[in-house]
Amino acid sequence: MENQLAVKHLTFSYGEETKKALDDVSFSVKKGEFVVVSGRSGCGKTTLFRLLKRELAPAGVKEGEIFFEGTPQEALSDRQAAADIGFVLQNPESQIVMDKVWHELAFGLENLGEPVSVIRRRVGEMANYFGIHQWFHKKTADLSGGQKQMLNLASVLLMRPKLLILDEPTAQMDPIAASDFIATLKKLNQEFGMTVLLCEHRLEEVLPAAHRVILMERGKIVMDTAPGQVSAGLKQMEEKKDPLVPVLLQSMPGAVRIFYQYDCPGPGPLTVREGKEFLAAHFDCRIKSLPAEEGKTFEEKEKAISLKNVWFRYEREQPDILRGASLEAAKGEIVSILGGNGSGKTTLLHVIAGLQKPHRGSVQIGGKKISAYKNGSLYRQNLSLLPQDPQTLFIKETVREDFLEAAKLVWKTPKDCQEQIRKVAELLELTPFLERHPYDLSGGEQQKAALGKILLLRPEILLLDEPTKGLDAWAKQGLIRLMKQLSDQGITLLLVSHDVEFCAEVSHRCGLFFDGTVISLDQPQVFFSENTFYTTAASRISREQFHQAVTCGQVSALCKENGFLR
Amino acid sequence: MKNHTDVLIVSQNEVPSFGYLCRSVTNSSDGRRELEVRAAPSRKRSGMEIFMNEFSRRHPAVLFLYYLLVLFLTMFAVHPAALAASFGGAFLFYLAENGVKTAMKDLAYYCGVFLLLAVLNPIFSHNGETVLFFMNDRPVTMEAILYGAAMAAMIVSVIFWCKCYQTVLTTDKVLYLFGKTVPRLSLVLSMSLRFFPLLKEQAGRIGKAQKAMGMYAKDSLTDRLLFHVRLFDSLLTWMLENAVETADSMKARGYGLKGRSHFSLFRFEKRDGTLLGAMGILTLGTGAAAIGGMYRFHYYPGISAMQTGLWAVASDLLLVLLFLLPFLIDVKEKILWKISLR
Repeated sequence: MENQLAVKHLTFSYGEETKKALDDVSFSVKKGEFVVVSGRSGCGKTTLFRLLKRELAPAGVKEGEIFFEGTPQEALSDRQAAADIGFVLQNPESQIVMDKVWHELAFGLENLGEPVSVIRRRVGEMANYFGIHQWFHKKTADLSGGQKQMLNLASVLLMRPKLLILDEPTAQMDPIAASDFIATLKKLNQEFGMTVLLCEHRLEEVLPAAHRVILMERGKIVMDTAPGQVSAGLKQMEEKKDPLVPVLLQSMPGAVRIFYQYDCPGPGPLTVREGKEFLAAHFDCRIKSLPAEEGKTFEEKEKAISLKNVWFRYEREQPDILRGASLEAAKGEIVSILGGNGSGKTTLLHVIAGLQKPHRGSVQIGGKKISAYKNGSLYRQNLSLLPQDPQTLFIKETVREDFLEAAKLVWKTPKDCQEQIRKVAELLELTPFLERHPYDLSGGEQQKAALGKILLLRPEILLLDEPTKGLDAWAKQGLIRLMKQLSDQGITLLLVSHDVEFCAEVSHRCGLFFDGTVISLDQPQVFFSENTFYTTAASRISREQFHQAVTCGQVSALCKENGFLR
Repeated sequence: MKNHTDVLIVSQNEVPSFGYLCRSVTNSSDGRRELEVRAAPSRKRSGMEIFMNEFSRRHPAVLFLYYLLVLFLTMFAVHPAALAASFGGAFLFYLAENGVKTAMKDLAYYCGVFLLLAVLNPIFSHNGETVLFFMNDRPVTMEAILYGAAMAAMIVSVIFWCKCYQTVLTTDKVLYLFGKTVPRLSLVLSMSLRFFPLLKEQAGRIGKAQKAMGMYAKDSLTDRLLFHVRLFDSLLTWMLENAVETADSMKARGYGLKGRSHFSLFRFEKRDGTLLGAMGILTLGTGAAAIGGMYRFHYYPGISAMQTGLWAVASDLLLVLLFLLPFLIDVKEKILWKISLR
C-alpha cells in the first residue's frame, strides 16, 4: 500500500544544544495504518511529532527529509499542510480557541474559508457522530476534560485530514475518558480507514488496537514491530544485554509484563483475555497464593490524620460533596483513595489540608484539631499538599530559585539550604534541570519538580492529588520507590488517584471514594481482588487461578513458583 | 445494526415507560412486529442550551434594530403616553422573561428608585406656574414634580429594557453582528470571553496551592498583600505559557490562511422578516404622527394640554403596540404552545 508518511534519516537538534533530540530517525506509515509511538518522557517523541506538522515545527537544526504522500514536506501548499495533517496536542484545555462549542468546531473550516452552508453541514454531521449535539451550545469552559479533548479531536477531523497525529492526547484524562477516547480513535481507524499516528504512555488499551508499535529512546527508534512481536523483540534486546529492556518493559500492558519471561509460539498475549488464556494453558497453578509478607501494621501507631463524619458543600444551596466522610491514616502509612472524576476526591484533600472548612464533623491532624493551627502553622513542617496541576506551585524563574524559596522556610543558613536542594534534586534526578525555567520542563519533570519543592518543606504528612498524571511508567516506578522511602522515614502519605495499577503497588491501604464517603478501605490485595471492575489488569488476568494476586510482580512470582508448562 | 429503511412504522404513538419511549413497528421484510425502544429525552433543562423566550430567538440583527429604536424613542420621549407605553412594554417583557416573582420583587425596588428620582427634580428646579407650597422659601411647583416623574419614568424604563437586553442580545449574538465588519475584533472578543473564566479558575487553584505550601500564610496584612502579588505573577506566567499552546493549536488548524470565512448559527427566517416589517410600519406610523404634532408636549412653564380625538388615540396606540412587541410575541408563543399540547 502507498505510504501516507515517510521519514528519512531525520536528525534534529535544538539551536543552542549540541545534544541531538532526534538521531537518524527513519520510518514510514502506510495509508490506513494505526501506529503507536512510545518511550520515556524526553525520548524525542514530541519533537518528532511536531516536526511532522510543518506549522508546529520547532526551531533548530534539521537534517533528513519528511514526505507526505510522496511530496516533500516543504513542497506542500499552506492549505494542504494545514488541512491534510490533523494534529491533536496534549493539553485539552489550552488547545481550545473559541468560547462556544459550535464556534470551536467551525474554527478550522472558517480558516479554510469554507462557505457557511458547507460549514453548517459538516459541523452538524460531526457533532452528531461524536455525540456533541448534546452540548453543542455550551461554553467550552464548562466542559469536562474528556469532552474537551473529544471536541479537539472533532474540530481537527472536521478539516478532513488524511493523517491524524496525536501527541499524548489522554495524558491529562481519567481512565474512563481516556478509554473512550482510544475507542473513538480505533473506530476512526477501522471504520473510516483513517491513518493514525499516536504517542502514548498508557499502552494497556492502545496496543491491541494498533498495527505497529515504535519504541523510542534518546532520540532513536529502538524497535519498530507488530504489537504481538514486542515481547520477542524485547527478548532479543535482552540477549544483547541492552540496559533499556526494563525501562521499555515497564510501560507494556500487564499481560506482556507478566508473561515476558516465557516463550510462547506465535504472538504474545496483549489483552487481559489473552493473558487469561495464556495463564490457563501454560501453568498448572497448584500454588494459589504467595507466603504472607511481613506486612507493616499500623493499628497501634498514632493517628496522623483523622476525619470523623465530615460534611462539606461549597454553597449553602448546593448538594453536599462530602457526606459523612470518615478516614484515618497512621503515621508512616500510605493510603490511597480511588474514585471517578468529579466524585469529590480533590475536595476531600482540600478539607484535610484546611483549605475548605467542613460544616459538620471533625478533622484532626497529628492528634490536634485543624482549627487549632493558627497563622499557617499547619503548613510549617507538618502538612503539605501536592496539587493536581504542578504549575500552580512555581513562582520563580528557575527550578533552583523555586526550591530555594521553599528551603528558606525550613533552614536558616544559605549553606544548609543549598545542601538540601542538592539532596532533593539528586533524589528526584532533577540536577540537570535546576537552572531551567519550571515551565520549560516536560510534564513528568514538572511533576517531579513540584514534588521536590514540597519535600523541601519537610512535611510530616504529605497529601498528593493525582501524583501520576502525565508520568510515564518508568517515572511512576521511581515515584513508588520514593514514596515507600518517605513512608519508612515516618512520613504519612495520603493520595487520591484513579491510577489503579499505581495504587495497588504503592499503598498500605486503598479505599474507594463514592457518594461523598470513603467506602471499603482495605489492604490492596483484599481491595482489588474483591473488586471486579475497579481493579488492576494483573488481578483481572489471574483472579480465577490465584488468590489475591493484584500486581504484575505478584502474578509473575506465583507463575515462577508454579513452573512453566509448555 | 438494523437498517432503518426496511422498518415500517405502524403506530406513531410513543408510549413513555421507565424513561424509555416505546412504539411498535413492523418489519417490512418479514412482516414481524417489533417493539422499538429508545431512551426518552431528559426533561431536565441542564443548562445545555440556555432557555430563550420567543422574542430572543429572532435574528440578532432584527433584535439589535429593535433595541436601537426602543432606546432612542424612550430617551427622547417627553409625552406621558409614550413614557407609560415604554415602561409598560419593558416591564411586561421583563415579567415574561423572568417570571412574576422576580419581576414583582424588582418592581418594588424600582418604585423606590422612581420616587427618589422624581423628588430630586422639584428640589433643584423651581420653574413652573403652579406653585404648590414653599420649602425653605423656595417654591415647589407642580410642573417640576411632574417633569421629575417623567424623567424618572424614562430612566426606570431604560433600566428595565437594559435588564432584558442581557438575555436578548447575548455575547455570541453581539459577536455575530460585529464579526463581519470587524473580523479581528470578534475573534479576539471570543477568545477573551473563553479566557476569563479559565483565568479565574486558575487563580483559585494557584491560591490554594500556594496557601497549602505555607507561603505568606500568616493572617497579617503585609502577608496577604504579598500573597496577591505572587498570585498575579504566577498567573501571568501561566497565561503566557498557555497562549503559546493556543497559538499552536490555531496555526495547526490553518489560522492565517487567506480568505477566512465567518460561520454563525443564525439564519434570517420568514418570521424575522415579518417582525422587521411590523417594526417598519409602526416606526413609519409614529414618525408620521410625530410630524403631525401628535406627540407634542411640554412641562414648562405650564403643562400643555393633551391632544384628544381619534388621531391622538390612534397615534398613542401605535406607540403602545411598538413597545409591547416583545411581550406580545412571547405571550402569543406561550398560548400557542399551551394549545398545541392539548
